[in-house]
Amino acid sequence: MKDVPTVEEVVAMLREEGIADLGADFAADGNLFEAGMDSMAVMQLIVIAEERFGAVIEPEDAGRENLETPGALARLIGRRMA
Amino acid sequence: MRADVLVLGAGSAGLAAAVAAAREGARVTVLERHGFAGGMGTASLVHTFCGLYLLGDGPPRLANPGFPAEMAERMLAATGDAGPVKMGRVWVLRQHPVEFVRIADELFRECGVELLYHSEALRAERAGEGWRVEAVCRGQRRILTAKALVDASGDAVLADLLGAAAERTESARLQRPAYVFGVQGVADGEEGLALAGRIVDGVRRGGLPKEALGLHFRSSGRAGEIFGSIDLSGAEEGDYDPLDAGCLSRLEVRGRSVAAAAVDFLRREAAGWAAAYVSHWPVRAGVRESRRWIGRQVLSEAELLAGVRHQDDIALAAWPLESRETTRGPKLRFPDGDRAAGIPLGCLMPRDIEGVFAAGRCLSCDHGAQASLRVMGTCFATGQAAGIAAAGISAGRPVSDTPRRLRELFGPGE
Repeated sequence: MKDVPTVEEVVAMLREEGIADLGADFAADGNLFEAGMDSMAVMQLIVIAEERFGAVIEPEDAGRENLETPGALARLIGRRMA
Repeated sequence: MRADVLVLGAGSAGLAAAVAAAREGARVTVLERHGFAGGMGTASLVHTFCGLYLLGDGPPRLANPGFPAEMAERMLAATGDAGPVKMGRVWVLRQHPVEFVRIADELFRECGVELLYHSEALRAERAGEGWRVEAVCRGQRRILTAKALVDASGDAVLADLLGAAAERTESARLQRPAYVFGVQGVADGEEGLALAGRIVDGVRRGGLPKEALGLHFRSSGRAGEIFGSIDLSGAEEGDYDPLDAGCLSRLEVRGRSVAAAAVDFLRREAAGWAAAYVSHWPVRAGVRESRRWIGRQVLSEAELLAGVRHQDDIALAAWPLESRETTRGPKLRFPDGDRAAGIPLGCLMPRDIEGVFAAGRCLSCDHGAQASLRVMGTCFATGQAAGIAAAGISAGRPVSDTPRRLRELFGPGE
């Protein structure tokens, strides 16, 4: 079983997959929506989180509170890893 | 039929070119395959104007004066929106395709532009100092002559008719086409992130085709009406070829099939969607990239990313490089310091041909630069410049004077 991702790993994933335009020192509590992540990018994000971490993000999870920052996202992925 | 300027295509670039040329005193004829103007913004239902505003922090600032600014003003008056909205790092202006058609009708009428809708160019050749173009409407041919031509066809159709230098990116790297459709009957329904989660779940469970993964919905600004947008691969059978009727036909059918399946699925599963229905198909899928002219200058991706300016710039490219080479959503690249690059006059001028100008998404640039230049706000600006350059041919003004004339008419810009 994979380890729960760190915030750094989540930021790296977002950058590699082009989900949002993140600067070099993007903070764990930086706002991803302000960095250009939209609902279309969120779909990619859900698919990629499942591919990379086996985390199944359900429709009910797709809210701002879970997706807005790299920190929140890392916690969500951790909770949803099988 | 004799004109000073004949414009091929009445999309955003052709509209701007025709209006700008007519206001310079030229007799202008427009040839357009649909029964209305607007191209991507009407026939393909693309409902935001991108590229109208400069990048950077602070309030929105128009990138190009003249026609782009006028369109923004007329569209705001028509939609009643308060102004542009910021999406991530960029400003966009919501536009409604129905209003766009009407605004274009008004502009053509005000400027006295002669319209030949339902028509396509079949042949073009030199005739004395000017040009002779054969057009066809439902099998009925008509000969047009003009002193100057503007190719705002989007696909550089005129380059092909003239056998002029043109370029196409290989199929695998072409920007993927957009498929946009209208939906009504959603009452206070699931939207945004919740809907995104719902759609991914539908694809995961096999209830939705894989293409639906990029599907997103946005309000049209009118009560009860939203637009759905998806990027398709265009490679339903064999490679994507945006100039091939068979490929385009499969693309249209696939777009409708994915959209209908998605709305069916959401009707069953999403809150507030029980009475939703597809209200509007696009006349055609939105082709982002196909054939381009090779001009005296070829604007490059590197120049755009560095925000390079030239002595003979006729417009600014204010939109980031928005790559959609896959259907997995846009990849945006921003220029250094968010500085808009200039588009030089040479990008509108074919090599070795006088009296022809290219505008819109088929002007002379490389594949990377086209990812910025193709958007409607920038097409208004390059169309305007092409129209003014073309009108100069009959007015006896040298083409090289176009940048100065633009400044004279509209001020220095940024």
